[in-house]
Amino acid sequence: MMARGSVLVVVVGLLVAGAVGGAGAAGPLDHPGFAKALTCSACHGVAGNSKSSAMPILAGMSAAYFTRQIEAYAKGDRPSPEMEPYAKYVLQAGVAEVAGYFAAQKMEPTPIPASAAAAARGKVAAAACAICHGQDGKGDAAKLIPSLAGQAPGYLREQMILFKQDTRNPKDAALKAMKALMRTIPDPGIEDLAAYYSSLR
Amino acid sequence: MRQRVTRRQFLRTAGAGISLGLAGGAVSVGLGGCAPAMKGDFMPKGGRRVVVVGGGWGGATAAKYVRLLDPGIEVVLLEPNREFVSCPFSNLVLSGVRKLDSITFRYDGLQKRGVKILHEAAAAIEPDRRRVRVGEGYLEYDRLVVSPGIEFQMEQIQGLAESQDKVLHAWKAGPQTAQLAAQLESMADGGVFVLTVPPVAYRCPPGPYERICQVAWYLKTKKPRAKLIVLDANQNIVSKTGLFRAAWRDYPNIDYRPSSKVIAVDPSTREVRTEFDREKYDVVNVIPPQRAGTIAVQADLVGADKRWCEVNHVTYESVKAKNVHVIGDSTTGLPVPKSGNIANAMGKVCATAIVHLLGGKPAPELPPGNTCYSWVNDREAIAVVNAYRIEGGKVVQIEQKLTPAQSALVGHRAVGWAQSIWHDMLA
Repeated sequence: MMARGSVLVVVVGLLVAGAVGGAGAAGPLDHPGFAKALTCSACHGVAGNSKSSAMPILAGMSAAYFTRQIEAYAKGDRPSPEMEPYAKYVLQAGVAEVAGYFAAQKMEPTPIPASAAAAARGKVAAAACAICHGQDGKGDAAKLIPSLAGQAPGYLREQMILFKQDTRNPKDAALKAMKALMRTIPDPGIEDLAAYYSSLR
Repeated sequence: MRQRVTRRQFLRTAGAGISLGLAGGAVSVGLGGCAPAMKGDFMPKGGRRVVVVGGGWGGATAAKYVRLLDPGIEVVLLEPNREFVSCPFSNLVLSGVRKLDSITFRYDGLQKRGVKILHEAAAAIEPDRRRVRVGEGYLEYDRLVVSPGIEFQMEQIQGLAESQDKVLHAWKAGPQTAQLAAQLESMADGGVFVLTVPPVAYRCPPGPYERICQVAWYLKTKKPRAKLIVLDANQNIVSKTGLFRAAWRDYPNIDYRPSSKVIAVDPSTREVRTEFDREKYDVVNVIPPQRAGTIAVQADLVGADKRWCEVNHVTYESVKAKNVHVIGDSTTGLPVPKSGNIANAMGKVCATAIVHLLGGKPAPELPPGNTCYSWVNDREAIAVVNAYRIEGGKVVQIEQKLTPAQSALVGHRAVGWAQSIWHDMLA
């Protein structure tokens, strides 16, 4: 009798905990960064999993890389009229929590399909990129080199154009080699690289 | 237009995020949309319930996010239309750059999140009894979200109310968008298109100027002898002023007249009248003065101006009715534009506040954000972005930034924004 009673109490307890729910239940609100990142989902998708071609996926992004970019946007070192105000907001709200939230989310690779022919050409051209971004395109978080695998193709394309024009982080000496490399790649080659990296899983 | 069911665009862009429903898509829950069945308490409330009035940018987002944050809360969405048509990007339909299909979506995604959708209009709100009247019955709620958008003050312009079939606003995307596009297309080369801009505050501050760009681009391309006369009730371009001025250098066919408030329209003589002038037109597009959606006015959620609703900046609870939250274009008092992005942001913040309040916790202080693109031709766009914080319980702006110039890259990001935010609202 005693044993049965205990089991019942436990079961009822679980049911009550489940039914009360609210902000205390297991859910997205448990992560302190979730609410602070609410405004981001308009462009970057729920949990940072952008479904569009132009907007980058933030889910699974290394917290250190995310933080570095937010700081660069806010200072104007990485010029972006869209991101500069939001970066200032993120710094005020608490970049550590927002960065931690996105880093903890499971990345869903872009749903934008890549042309197989373009991806194949891109794979050949990517040999030089792999020196830093790795054979798998996943980058090196310790060196603040971002993952490109499964990233939104339109975003990859735009960033490569900005590197080529030297309008992304124009004063950053660490990106000199990257920009020199991008200048050797013709515009159709940029499309191919975007197709290739977006298709990696 | 409503019969043209197309999810192709959405699916193409949204991919795995949305699964296909069967033909028929969004269906009325329980009642089959049958008004006579709605008598008394026709959907008795079990646990906690949020009712959302209006399935636009604010309401659809709020409904989705309450479910996302706490699936234990029942959400009922009241929206008469079976499909959602996006106002952002609808000016591109006028210029023929986009089809209405590509900005029309169903509500299937919300249903999959467990939102119960009734394709009915809310008839009245009874805050004291915590219920909304629908048909001959009512729905009880714990918290109500009112997101009714705007209504037109037709009475402010003589002759407008009785000319609704001929004098179009196309300021609520849908059938009128296609009708105005057809009027523009059938206008003779050498014709005069008159577009009138209402005094602030109105839905989408840069919207009329984007429309001017799209009509001028279309005329320049297809009817090079035609002219666009703009009668603006305001003293200058209301939003993105310098960027629009720069864009208009490509359009010598624009005759822009500020401080020209329209007071009358007469389709029989094809004439609009301002306080000082008369203008003949071949096609006219009158964007009328606006106020909060009718239900908000009837429920007396509006302030002394009888136009807009004041709200708490953290919870969006009405200052006039307890447990009633107002979001989107109907609100006033926040330093934010009446934009789709702001309504979407308010929907998320309001949903978060409601989930906390229903759980007996204080609402977190979360500001909205605004990203707003405008198309200046068929491929180039401009943008304004506003970030905010909460200070002493009020929304204050951190910063506003504009794109330095129009470009195709900004246009590319505009498409990304639209695809993402439609997904954020509806998937």
